[in-house]
Amino acid sequence: MDTLAKLQILSGAARYDASCASSGSKREAPSSGTGNTSQSGICHSWSDDGRCISLLKILLSNDCRYDCAYCVNRSTNAVERASFTAREVVDLTLDFYRRNYIEGLFLSSAVMQSPDVTMERMVRVVETLRTEEHFGGYIHLKIIPGCSSDLVRKAGLYADRISVNIELPSQVSLHRLAPQKHKDSILEPMALIGREITSSLVERKADRRAPRFAPAGQSTQMIIGASPENDFQILRLSQGLYKKMNLKRVYYSAYVPVSADNRLPVLAAPPLLREHRLYQADWLLRFYGFSAEEILSDDLPNLDETFDPKTAWALRHPEFFPVEINHADYLTLLRVPGIGVTSAKRIIAARRFSAITPEGMKKIGVVMKRAKYFITSAGRGFERADRTPALIRQQLLLGDGIGAPPPRQLVFPGLYA
Amino acid sequence: MNRYLYDGTADGLMSAIAWILEEEPDPLQVALAEREDTLFEDGFFIVTDATQAESLFFRLRKQAPDAAHTIYSFMLAEKEGMETSLLHYMTLAFKYGDKVNGYLTHSAVLDIVSVAKKAGRELHRMKGLLRFEKLRDGAYLAKMEPDHNIIHPLAYHFRTRLKAQHWFLYDVKRRTAAHWSNGTLQFGTIEQFTTPALSDDEKQVQAMWQTFFKTISIADRKNARLQKSNMPMKYWKYLTEKQGE
Repeated sequence: MDTLAKLQILSGAARYDASCASSGSKREAPSSGTGNTSQSGICHSWSDDGRCISLLKILLSNDCRYDCAYCVNRSTNAVERASFTAREVVDLTLDFYRRNYIEGLFLSSAVMQSPDVTMERMVRVVETLRTEEHFGGYIHLKIIPGCSSDLVRKAGLYADRISVNIELPSQVSLHRLAPQKHKDSILEPMALIGREITSSLVERKADRRAPRFAPAGQSTQMIIGASPENDFQILRLSQGLYKKMNLKRVYYSAYVPVSADNRLPVLAAPPLLREHRLYQADWLLRFYGFSAEEILSDDLPNLDETFDPKTAWALRHPEFFPVEINHADYLTLLRVPGIGVTSAKRIIAARRFSAITPEGMKKIGVVMKRAKYFITSAGRGFERADRTPALIRQQLLLGDGIGAPPPRQLVFPGLYA
Repeated sequence: MNRYLYDGTADGLMSAIAWILEEEPDPLQVALAEREDTLFEDGFFIVTDATQAESLFFRLRKQAPDAAHTIYSFMLAEKEGMETSLLHYMTLAFKYGDKVNGYLTHSAVLDIVSVAKKAGRELHRMKGLLRFEKLRDGAYLAKMEPDHNIIHPLAYHFRTRLKAQHWFLYDVKRRTAAHWSNGTLQFGTIEQFTTPALSDDEKQVQAMWQTFFKTISIADRKNARLQKSNMPMKYWKYLTEKQGE
């Protein structure tokens, strides 16, 4: 089979991995080699589904001995199988990188003979790239659960980011849909990676030449909608991963029906809106100072489809509002619907010069369509103050005049890590 | 309101601003525009002085490095008719230092910062969207038609990234080029451009990239609008993956 045919099979098999970030790592190009990385990451293209392409995302092989119900590469699925040689992956990466198609390589694989054999072959590819070809671009390497900790350590020395996929949000679902995978074999390498990253950072403080371990951190991914967990369970899991495992990112991947297995739900289309709402809630956890318990509860276990999670929170907490934009601190401003991280910072910078008026809020870039119900400027409200949450709800949906409800915007938020 | 004129060059602009900051009691009440040489043009012409211009920018870089960077990006945009905003922005930058970029409620600051941001955004975008083709002699060539004049900072980016490689950047609209070879970066203009022959394996590599681009997309999630908003169609002309669609 020629490389082109393999590329078709093995990139098609890798497309369900959501992560494509190339940020978080800054490396100068090696003197005799090719490539560096940029702290902010660079997107090189956007595919027809609107998702960013930053890395050459491929599997080393799709010849899997596992039989996970949700996966297109499961052993009982009749798809064409292929495996790259290390040389093929190295040459593809360099050919693409030199033409500026990509920022680097994302290498994952199906489980071949054993986790160790698979992981060893993957590590050999990136070792060749780094040590023989002096490649300085971005590398994201997937860890195969169950491989030896030596291989995990080696992977972290060559790659910018490593990740172990958690796949499903609970042990029960994992057992049902991916019987060969175990919670412990996923969480153990995650914890190991977390420890290695921390100790490498400590060592590098003492000696700047100490080796870096996965400088762009670790991420994970879970499939949404293939198992019955509610959003509250999912968010609490993510919160734990961020807090206890120190993860950089949790990716949510709406389940795309790839199998008629009777253990799986029948979906007309992938739950894209739910995925979008989960990403919004994830942002609230990481950048807005919210906890999972504030966003959802046992009585309210799923995210609102009509409103984004922050607006939904604001409508449940009228006692928190209105917020005075000329005095409120950063974390308070962040809780106002329509004010994001950027506008909150801009408000704080701008009010050093003069008090901010409604006109000024627009200049700063606040989404006044949403924010106006929740703020005051110099004590004066932007909207009549006696509005009840029910009324605001209606106004937010219908707009000020007569008109259609706001369009449901589906933006894939995984552009920058 | 006093009105001043300059000769339309970048040096002229900077030296006019230097003169006004020096001589005018309140530069925020003054307007500045390019001379048009019409009969009834109103205003006082300031003669260009390259040393003045340079020393002004040097002083700004020392006092407010972020603001100097903003002005650098602003100049890449080659925007006309914003001289007064620039004058007011620089006045404020000397008064407040780097904090000036936070004064977004001031219309001059907002004007300059938003134009600069647009130029910076296109520069970042082109770092990803630029496509090199391998030529028969082993060099790589990338053609582009950006809205902003970003060839300089773009070349600095690739100088470190592809330093072992011999490459050309060519801005088709402005007929300017950058050339990197053996550790030297040169800029110039090209009057007549003839497309050189491609290397023998180039079409093969391009076919692989086109294949990858197609298969990496998930058909059930097709979203052409999102694709276009992230990657506007004006850039498709030189994108390898968008050829022959």
